[in-house]
Amino acid sequence: MRPGPPARLLLVAWFLAPLAGMTLWAFADQWTAATVLPQDWGLRGWREALADGLPGALLRTVVLSSTVALLATPAGAMAARGLLRVGPRLRAAASVLLVVPVVLPPLTVVLGVDVLLLRLQIPAAVGVVAVLVVQALPYTTYVMWTTYQAYDEAYEDEARTLGASALRALLRVQLPLVAPGLGAASFLALLVGWSDYIVTLVVGGGRLVTLPVLVASNAAGTGNEPVVAALSVVAIVPPLVLLGAVGLLGRRGRRRAPTRSSVADTADTAQVAGVAS
Amino acid sequence: MTRPVTPLVKPPPSRRLFHRPPSRGRQVLLLLPALVPIVALVLATLSALGLQSLGLMPLVGRPRVSATAYTAVGADLLSATGLTLAIAAAATLLAVSVGLATALLVVSFTPLSRLVRLSAAATVTVPHLVGAAAVGLLVADSGVLPRVLGLSAQQWPNLVAGPFLVAVVLEYAWKEAAFVALVVGAALATRVAQYDETAALLGAGRLHRLRHVTLPLAAPSLVVAGTISFVYVVGSYEVAWLLGRTYPEPLPVLAYRLFSSADLAARPEAAAAALVTSLVATAVASVGLVAARRWRVHA
Repeated sequence: MRPGPPARLLLVAWFLAPLAGMTLWAFADQWTAATVLPQDWGLRGWREALADGLPGALLRTVVLSSTVALLATPAGAMAARGLLRVGPRLRAAASVLLVVPVVLPPLTVVLGVDVLLLRLQIPAAVGVVAVLVVQALPYTTYVMWTTYQAYDEAYEDEARTLGASALRALLRVQLPLVAPGLGAASFLALLVGWSDYIVTLVVGGGRLVTLPVLVASNAAGTGNEPVVAALSVVAIVPPLVLLGAVGLLGRRGRRRAPTRSSVADTADTAQVAGVAS
Repeated sequence: MTRPVTPLVKPPPSRRLFHRPPSRGRQVLLLLPALVPIVALVLATLSALGLQSLGLMPLVGRPRVSATAYTAVGADLLSATGLTLAIAAAATLLAVSVGLATALLVVSFTPLSRLVRLSAAATVTVPHLVGAAAVGLLVADSGVLPRVLGLSAQQWPNLVAGPFLVAVVLEYAWKEAAFVALVVGAALATRVAQYDETAALLGAGRLHRLRHVTLPLAAPSLVVAGTISFVYVVGSYEVAWLLGRTYPEPLPVLAYRLFSSADLAARPEAAAAALVTSLVATAVASVGLVAARRWRVHA
């Protein structure tokens, strides 16, 4: 049994209503109480957001989340590969450890390590990245684990057999085949960094002003709805564009990726390994 | 460990020597870049909080063992725990219901269901803090919803910072419903169609198929996704801070308020609240894990 069309419209409304309301506010110059639509449309919110440091905050958010993704994705991929190869006991123990960052609240972690980071004189930005990478590792490892489960090592073996070095087999055979998984994993890690507020606030000590920090300081006040909305739009659009890109990459990858049972196309593998040309 | 190798030409033996599966020891090394930071951070967190909350790591003065941090805010801790669990339960219940309905839709392929899927996927990417701001812009008394419904600020119920923390629950339910929909939808997508068709061919009605085919298939992932949402809400700070009231406050808000208070003596109390938060999260996660195991056995 499935919900009918009215239920579908209701669900679309449920998910899109907050985003729609936000978009209206982002272009409302004047919107007095109890009127359905704004009286004046315009870019007041955007001008004020620019004056409030939107470009810098956006740049810091991009750098922070990319750094988290660049560190958490390879570590997660390696851990996933290791998990599939070690014995069952070690795998069970490692799996439990990998779930801990999901259970342990980020607030608890930062209240715990804040004094420690200060005493060890670790720069705030390094501390923020470290905590966020640990938050992201369960997700990247999980995605890469499912990716490597569907990955046929025989391709790499053939490349090696045909004379490719380990590095060449990694770069030309393994990485292209798991690229969709790597894309999805780095997207999730990026989201962890992009969405974070409390870690940046506490460990960053208020000096690392990212987009969520800027949204929060504006949203805590009253009467500046257009600014909050404009900042929120900027915080939402880039991940959406990336999600679309990752989706396309995944679809193309699935179409191209050979299945376990399909012809173990030695000629292709050999060409990739660079020995048959 | 041997792996299947299917070369067309049997390689010369000398080559095979260079191409052995790496040893177990080297596989363990692969785990280290992920496990070392996790273990280091978890140990550092728990020991620092434990020491602080027992008065052994004071910012000023000499360390002395005492449980005063726990007793001083004992009543607050108790009411905060109750409120935290209530918010998380309400939000998770709503999220699981809406998420399941969405997942059932997503596995069918109509243009409208694609729109549902895209809007749920879009919601997952929104940061919670931005989501809280968006929900505030929607349901506050100056928000979009009362305007659309033609109600004045006086006629509109106090959803933001009101007695039942409606806006807080709505924000979590909104975001987590999208998450539940994605997880359950992915679990259903692979198998539900063929089982559903078989059951239909054998004469099962729609309600029967929902009860005996779809729900049992969805149950394990539903329990897992519900548990993750619940645990997330228990430990989350910013939504209740932005959309909630100053009192009573959930555990993370209490912990952060004590942490950032000018009174340095409140630091042990903040550590105690943070530890209680993670205890509650761990307890909920364990219950969810047991439930997920049991469901899997039954299904």
